[in-house]
Amino acid sequence: MRSDPAEYDLVAPANLQAAVSLLASEPGRWLPIAGGTDLMVQFAAGTLRARKLISIARLPELRRTEVFAEEIEIGAGCTYTDVRKHDIVDSEFPMLARAASWTGGIANQNRGTLGGNIVNASPAGDSLPALLAYDADLILVSVRGERRVPYASFHTGYKKTKLAADELIRAVRLPRRFGGYFSHARKVGTRNAQAVSKVCIAALARMEDGTVQDARIAFGSIAPMPVRLAETERLLNRKRLDPSLVLLASKTAAAEVQPIDDIRSTARYRAAVAGNLVAEFLERLGETQRAPSEVLARWNGLPADEAENEILACCGSRVWARGMAARRPFLDEAAVLAASDETWRNLGESDWMEAFRSHPRIGESRAAQILSARSAAWSAQEQSNAAAADDAIKIALAEANRKYERQFGRIFIVCAAGKTGSEILQILRRRLQNDDGAELREAAEQQRQITQIRLRKWLQG
Amino acid sequence: MKSERIVALSAPRKEGRDKVTGRARYIDDITLPEMLYGATVRSRIPRGKIKKITFGPGINWDKFVVVTAKDIPGKNYIALIENDQLCLADGIVNHPEEPVLLLAHPDRHALPKAVEAVSIEYDSLPPVFTIEESERQSEIIWGADNIFKTYLIQKGDVDGIWEKADYIVEGEYSTGAQEQLYIETNGAIAAFDAERGLTVWGSLQCPYYVHKALMALCNLPETKVRVVQTETGGAFGGKEEYPSMLAAHASLLAMKSRRPVKIVYDRAEDMVATTKRHPSRTRHRTAVRKDGKILGGEIELVIDGGAYVTLSPVVLSRAAIHAGGPYEWPAIRVRAKAVATNAPPHGAFRGFGAPQSLFAMERHMDRIARAVNLSPVEIRRINFLKPGQTTITEQTINEPVDLGKMLDRALEHSSYEAKKQWFARENESGAVRKGMGVAAFLHGAGFTGSGERYLASVVGVEGTAEGRVRVLVSSTEFGQGTNTVLCQIAAETLGLPYDDVEIAQPDTTEVPNSGPTVASRTAMVVGSLVASAARGLEQTLTASGKLGKTYSAEEFRRACREHVAAHGRFRSLARYEPPANIYWDDQNYRGEAYAAFAWAIYVAEVTVDLATYSVSVADFVALQEVGRVLNPVLARGQIIGGVAQGIGFALYEKVEWRDGCMQNGQMTNYIMPTSADVPPIRVFFEELGNTHGAYGAKGIGELPMDGPAPAIVNAIEDALGIPLDSVPLLPENIFDAIASASNRESDARSPTGVR
Amino acid sequence: MTKTGATPCDVSLIVNGEPRTVRAYPMERLLDVLRQQLGLTGTKEGCGEGECGACSVIMDGALVDSCLVPVLQAQGSNVVTIEGLGKDVRACALQETFLECGGAQCGICTPGMILAAVHLLNEKPEPTMDDIRDGLAGNLCRCTGYVQIFEAVAAAARRGVAR
Repeated sequence: MRSDPAEYDLVAPANLQAAVSLLASEPGRWLPIAGGTDLMVQFAAGTLRARKLISIARLPELRRTEVFAEEIEIGAGCTYTDVRKHDIVDSEFPMLARAASWTGGIANQNRGTLGGNIVNASPAGDSLPALLAYDADLILVSVRGERRVPYASFHTGYKKTKLAADELIRAVRLPRRFGGYFSHARKVGTRNAQAVSKVCIAALARMEDGTVQDARIAFGSIAPMPVRLAETERLLNRKRLDPSLVLLASKTAAAEVQPIDDIRSTARYRAAVAGNLVAEFLERLGETQRAPSEVLARWNGLPADEAENEILACCGSRVWARGMAARRPFLDEAAVLAASDETWRNLGESDWMEAFRSHPRIGESRAAQILSARSAAWSAQEQSNAAAADDAIKIALAEANRKYERQFGRIFIVCAAGKTGSEILQILRRRLQNDDGAELREAAEQQRQITQIRLRKWLQG
Repeated sequence: MKSERIVALSAPRKEGRDKVTGRARYIDDITLPEMLYGATVRSRIPRGKIKKITFGPGINWDKFVVVTAKDIPGKNYIALIENDQLCLADGIVNHPEEPVLLLAHPDRHALPKAVEAVSIEYDSLPPVFTIEESERQSEIIWGADNIFKTYLIQKGDVDGIWEKADYIVEGEYSTGAQEQLYIETNGAIAAFDAERGLTVWGSLQCPYYVHKALMALCNLPETKVRVVQTETGGAFGGKEEYPSMLAAHASLLAMKSRRPVKIVYDRAEDMVATTKRHPSRTRHRTAVRKDGKILGGEIELVIDGGAYVTLSPVVLSRAAIHAGGPYEWPAIRVRAKAVATNAPPHGAFRGFGAPQSLFAMERHMDRIARAVNLSPVEIRRINFLKPGQTTITEQTINEPVDLGKMLDRALEHSSYEAKKQWFARENESGAVRKGMGVAAFLHGAGFTGSGERYLASVVGVEGTAEGRVRVLVSSTEFGQGTNTVLCQIAAETLGLPYDDVEIAQPDTTEVPNSGPTVASRTAMVVGSLVASAARGLEQTLTASGKLGKTYSAEEFRRACREHVAAHGRFRSLARYEPPANIYWDDQNYRGEAYAAFAWAIYVAEVTVDLATYSVSVADFVALQEVGRVLNPVLARGQIIGGVAQGIGFALYEKVEWRDGCMQNGQMTNYIMPTSADVPPIRVFFEELGNTHGAYGAKGIGELPMDGPAPAIVNAIEDALGIPLDSVPLLPENIFDAIASASNRESDARSPTGVR
Repeated sequence: MTKTGATPCDVSLIVNGEPRTVRAYPMERLLDVLRQQLGLTGTKEGCGEGECGACSVIMDGALVDSCLVPVLQAQGSNVVTIEGLGKDVRACALQETFLECGGAQCGICTPGMILAAVHLLNEKPEPTMDDIRDGLAGNLCRCTGYVQIFEAVAAAARRGVAR
C-alpha cells in the first residue's frame, strides 16, 4: 500500500442529486468512485492523483435497467455481473454480455461497473468495442440537466473523454435493432482468464442475398481509444461474401489499425491478429449461409426427445444426449464434435457409468443395457479386429475382463477401433494396475474417443 | 506390533486444518507491541557511484529511524558463498533496486512518501545487461572477466567423434528469467534485546542460512541470534537466499531503534527487487550415427547470474550435470559458465538450473530426430541410459530403471500415436494446428557431489511429557508437505498413529540444523535421518526398560511420559553419514553426482490458434519414477503444481527488462496460469521398489519443473512445423516465427499453409 | 505542503454475523480494516491490485476483493470472512474436501479460494467442471496447479447434493 488513507477524502452522497451537486460545487476537484476496480489499484500503487472522492457505488438511480420498445437503458452503476445476467442483454446484445463475463474474475465482475469501464477510458476496456459496434448512446447528468451523446464521439484521445468536470454518466442506451445480425466478439489476452486484452474485437453484420450489409467492426487495445474500422466496413458493405473478399478485408483491417508496442504486446502482432479476427468474423458470417449436412439438417429440426434418442447411439449417457440436443442447431461436424467433448467433460461420474454400460464387453456382443440396434452394430464394427483374435487371446480377454469388473465394478472401456485382441489385452492388463480415480479418468477418455468416431460415422450418413 | 501402515497413505496435511480455517499465522499476520515498519531505499540506476544522498523536504525526518552501511555492527555482506553481495550499498551500486538505506517509522503509511523523498545522485558507470555483452568483456563489472564460475565436464574422446559421425547436429537454445511469484510476498520481523540478542521471524526456506548471515552482519555469537520460520506462503526457491537480506535489513533497523521492526514487501517491490530464475543460453553440437545413436557432443552452457555471485555457482553446477539428459553419451564435453550482468542477482527457483539445460537437451533431441529422419520417440529410445551405463559424470546407473518402458506407458496414456495420425490429417486445414511433444528427463535428488557430506545435517526426534513424539528439524514447510511426510516417517518407524507425532516450528534455538529445504532433499535425506533418530528414541526407551521389544501406542506414550518425568526432556539425534562407496571428484566434476535420480517422461498435447497465435495445452501426461511415493495426494499435488509452473515458464511468464529492471512487476502484467489455463494434468507414478531414502523415497519437488517446457515447445513444433528454440514462447514470438518462416517459404515460392 | 484529506469516520457493518463499528479513514481498504482493526488475519493480501483473490470476502452475498473496497463503501453491509464460515455447512464441506483432496498446499490462497468456492456453490450447487474453472479464475494459486482444488470443489458439491 503506497498511499496514506489519511490524505484522501471520500464521501458517499445518498442520492444522485446530492452527488452531482457536490461535483458541481468544486468542478474538477472531486472524482467519482464506483466499484474501485481501477481507482483502488491506483490508490494502492500510490498513483491516484485525486484527493477527494465521491462514492457512487450505491446510488440506486445508477443501477437500474429499463427496457423500452426501441432501446434498452442500462444504468452506469450496473456491475458486470448485472450486465452479464440480464436476459435482454444476453439475447439481443450478446457481445456486451460476453465482454462482461471476461472482465477480470468473478470478484471484479461483482464490483466493476459499466460506467466505470467507459469513463476510465482505457483502450483495453473490455466492454468498449461492443458499445461501439452496437451504436450506444450515453446519458450524461449534471446539475445542469441531462444530455445524450453518441458513444462513438465520447472518447477524444488516450484516456480523454467529453465528460465535463461536473458530469457523471447516468446510463447507457442501446438501440434494439440488431436482431437479425450475426455477431462475433473475441478478446485476445496472453492467458484465458483475468487477462488484460492485447486485441479485442466486437463485430456485427447481416447478410442479404449473399452480400454483407451494415458491417460494424470495432476493436479495443489497438489504438489510444476503441475504434471502428471505417475503411474495412466500407469495403465490405453490399459486397458478395467470398474468400477473396475475406482476404481483402483481412488485409485492409491489418493495415487500417495503427497499434503500438507496449509491455503487453507488439504492434505487428496486434495488426496481424486484428486482420485474422476480421477474417474469422467473416468466415463465420459466411458459415451461417451454408447449408449443414443432410443428417445434421434433419437432426437439427427434430423435436428434442427424438433428437436425444437418435444421438444416444453415439454415446449412451442420457444427460450427454439431452445436452447435445439442447445445444442444437449445429452448423457443421466440427461444431458437433467440439460440443460433444465439452458436454462429456462436464458430466458427472454416474453419467459416465451410464455411457459405459451401453457397450458390450470386449469379446461379447450384448451390452448391459441395449440402447439401439445402431449402437450394437457400431460396437461389432469397432471390435471386429478383437473378434478375429485367436481363442487363447479370447479366453485371456474374458478372464481379464472379469478381473477388471470385480476390481472396478464396471465393464472395461477401450476405444477398440483398429486395435487387435492382443493389443487390447495388453492395455487391459496395464489398466488393472490403475487406482480407481486414474482408471475412471482413463475410461472416460476412451469413451470420449469412441463417441467422436461414432459421431463422424453418424454424420456421414 | 508395527502393524500400522502410514507411509504410502495419504495422511492429511499436518497443518492443513489451520490453513483451511484461516488460523495459520503468516509473517504479516503477526504484530508485536511497539513495532515499527521498515522500508528500503533502492538504487534507481543499474551501475554507478553514489555521489550524494539527500533527505528531501516535506518529511519529518526526526520521526524516522535511518540506517546506512555505516550502522552495520559486523561485516557488510550477506554471507553465502562468495560474500560479495553487500547488505547495503556502500558508495557504489551494481544493479537497479540495490538496497542503499533503510527507514523505519511507527506508521507504515508514512514510509512510501519518505522513500520517494530520499534522492540519490550518482556518477553513472556503463552497465552490462545481457550474456553476450558480459562475454564481450568490453566493460568489466565483476572480477577480472565478468565470470562468476566455470565448470568443465569431460567424458570419453570428444575430439575423435566428429569424423565418425554421419550427422553433426547443432542448435542454440535459450530460456528467460522467471519470477517465483509465491502468493505471500517476502517478509520478516526482527526484535533486538541486548541480553537475549536478536530474534527474527520470517517467511523463509532456510533458517540456518539466515542465522549464519545475521551472525556475520550483526557481529553476534551463535547463541545471540535466533531465527524462526513462520508459516510460509509459497517459496519455490524464491525464499532460499533472499530472506537473509530481508532479515538483515529488519535486524539493522531493530538494533538501531531497539524496537521490533517488520518489513513486508508489497507485490511490486517483491517482483522487481528479489531473485528470479537465471536466464540461460545453451549451444549443442552433437555427433550422430545414421541409426540415431549419439556418438558424443559438446554443450556450451551460460547462465546470467545478475550482479552478484549469490547462488549462481550451485545453480550452474546442477545445470551442467543435467545438461546431457537421461541419455548415454560415449563422449561429451560440457563447458558451463555463470556471468555477471547489472541486473538484480538471479537465484534459486525450483529446478535450479536443470530446467534450463534440460530444455536445451530435449529441444535438441527433436532437432537430431529431424536430422536423422527418426521420430522424436525413436531417437530417445535409442539413446536412453540403461542400468550399468554411466552418466556424463561417469556415475553408474545401479537401479533397474527402464526408460523405454516408461516411454511406452506415457505414450499409451496420451494416445500419442493415434493422435499424431489424427492431427496429421486435421492439420491440413482449419483454424487451429495440433501437435504432440515428448520430453524425457532426470533430476538428481539431494545436494550435488560432496554437498551432503559438507552439510552434515542433524535431525532430532523428541519424546514429550505428554507422551507424544515431536520431530525436530530446520526443514521447513512451505506447501510441499515437509511436516506431513516427516511425521509419517516418524510414525511409521515407531509404529505409532500419525496423530501421535507432531513437528516443531523451525526455530534455531529449538531445532538442530537439518540443512536447507532445497534440492529435493527433504524426503530422501532428512526423511532417512528422521527414521534413524526415531529408532534412537525407541532404543533409549527399550534400553531403560520402560518399553518392551514390541509395544502398543499406549505403552509407548506411557514409557515416554515416565522417561520425561524421571530424566527431563529427552531426544535422539541423528547425523548424516556419507555412504562409504560414494566417490565424487570436485576438481574434475566426475563421479557420483547424486545419491539418486528421479526419472520422467512427459507428453504434451497442444492446440495453436492460427488467428491469435496462442497456444493452449489440451492434455498433459506426467509419468515419473520418484522411488516410493510416501503420500500419494501430496505427491500428485507436487507434480501437478510443478507442471503448471512449467506451463507458465513455457508459454506465459515473461519478465520485460529495461536497463536491468523488471518493467512488468505487477500480477496484471506478469502472466501466471489461472484455473482457466491448466489442462487436465494426468499424473502417473512408476515405483522401482528400490530403497534410497526413507522407505525408498527419492526427490520429487523439483522434477516436474524440468519437463513441461520442452514437451510443450516440441509439441508446438510438431503442430506448426517450424523450430522454436526459446522460452517463454508468447503468441507474439510464435507470430514472428511463423511470419519469418513463411517469408522464407514464399521466397522459395511454396504455399505456406498457415495464414 | 498542505495536508488535504479526511477525518476518520465511524463505519458500522456486520462481520461474520456480529455488528461491528470501526473508526477509520473512509479510503482505508476493507482488507486492512479486517486484518488490523478486527484482527481477522485469515484474509490475505497477495497483490493489492484485485488480481490474485487472496483477499476475497463475501460482501452482501457477492464475492469481492477486499483490497479494492474502500471501507466507507462497506457501511451497513454484511461481510463474511474465512473466520466466519464455521457454521456454514457448505463451507465446512469445502474445508474437509480441501484437506482430503490436496486443495491447500502453502495455504496463502486457501481462505480466498474457499470463499470463492462457497460463492460458486451458493450460485451453482451442482457446478460443471467449466463452472468451477471459471468461478475460481479470479483466485490465483501458485502451488497446486488447481487440479486438486477443482476436485475438492467437485467433491464438496457432490456431498451437498447427497445431503
